[in-house]
Amino acid sequence: MAKFHPEIDLLTEYSAGTLPLAQAACVSAHLNYCAQCHRSIEQLEDVGAALFDGLQAEAVGEAQLDAVLARLDDAPPLRYAKPEHREVGRTPGILQRLMSGQYTDLAWKKVTKSLSISYLKTGDPDFEFALYHIKAGGRIPEHTHHGSEMTLILEGGFSDADGSYHQGDFLFRQPSDVHAPTALQSEDCICLAVLDAPLKFTGWKYRWMNPFLRLRAG
Amino acid sequence: MVESNEGNGWSGGSGRRTDEWSECLTLIAANEDRAAFTRLFRHFAPLIKAFALSGSNMSATHADELVQETLLKVWQKAGAFNPEKAAASTWVYTIARNCRTDMFRRLQKFDTPLSADDVTPEQESEEPFSQLQSRRRRERVREMMKELPPDQAQILAKVYMEGKSHAEAAGELDLPLGTVKSRVRLALQKLQIQVESYSYG
Ligand SMILES: [Zn+2]
Repeated sequence: MAKFHPEIDLLTEYSAGTLPLAQAACVSAHLNYCAQCHRSIEQLEDVGAALFDGLQAEAVGEAQLDAVLARLDDAPPLRYAKPEHREVGRTPGILQRLMSGQYTDLAWKKVTKSLSISYLKTGDPDFEFALYHIKAGGRIPEHTHHGSEMTLILEGGFSDADGSYHQGDFLFRQPSDVHAPTALQSEDCICLAVLDAPLKFTGWKYRWMNPFLRLRAG
Repeated sequence: MVESNEGNGWSGGSGRRTDEWSECLTLIAANEDRAAFTRLFRHFAPLIKAFALSGSNMSATHADELVQETLLKVWQKAGAFNPEKAAASTWVYTIARNCRTDMFRRLQKFDTPLSADDVTPEQESEEPFSQLQSRRRRERVREMMKELPPDQAQILAKVYMEGKSHAEAAGELDLPLGTVKSRVRLALQKLQIQVESYSYG
């Protein structure tokens, strides 16, 4: 069970539908692992529904009703199979939508000896949406951000100066937080990172790479 | 003109579930019942239109389009509605919310493989036994909503009905972002929304 969760502000914006697409996709992927946040979203949607029910109704003409009734034949009710039980540890549905295949089928771009990155296309022009693969025990060079960084652990785990994180854990870093995550020794780590500005390596050894780490939004 | 129905919802006293809108959805799913759909339309269409116009940046034509799209989707998806696991009004609200998000992205020529239904699917409670509990919770939310101080109610309306991000709400109300966030938090606290507190801040 996930131990680190999105804060209430993010859950609120997610439930109201106002979170940018890429960030909302990341929160949605967290819900795959987290029954508590799932419940919070249900409650927040009830808040939205209560406001919705309390709106001052706007008159709608009969012509509108007729127009919709005329379209019903072209849009028959869909048939639904019984939903499968949610499997623990299953790849989040939203990522399955974006990947068409397994993590191993993706095009991975090697950045350092232990870090590879695969970019997924969400269409959000303001955010980069990428999977990071860190080899067991491998380290991501110390880096900082110009912007925010949302991270969700999909496989394995990593630790940094603040703690250690496992499958389903959700982190949200603000600009200028410096950190150098290290994957757990026991297994490779795959995580989803959503950035609104490129990473900036701070260590002298990797600083030369900064110009290459341009944001790949979209 | 179509009038909005009043006095829907739960019957008092007996505790029996007699939510008219759940029944309509069930009838649509079972036998494509147009009379049930018409009842549903007369109740929800005026609310969806109000929802569309509350952001005030949607034209009347688009608002009408949103009404039609949302109700067509309600018709098509009725089979996915499970009265044991969700409230009809919340279910319809989330469909309207997603249709609005998709419409905005379409208007902005957003090129994305994801629809709002992929990103914010209708939630289903995983524990059917908590039905009574969730019903009480919804009633409480509705009651407490009336007691909220105006500044908190205003922010919630901006966020949920007008579809403004916290930052946009702050800009429009000429308030610091932190003030908007804390008003939202206070309001949700009063509505007793439970959120996992162990988060990375
Ligand atoms: Zn969570």
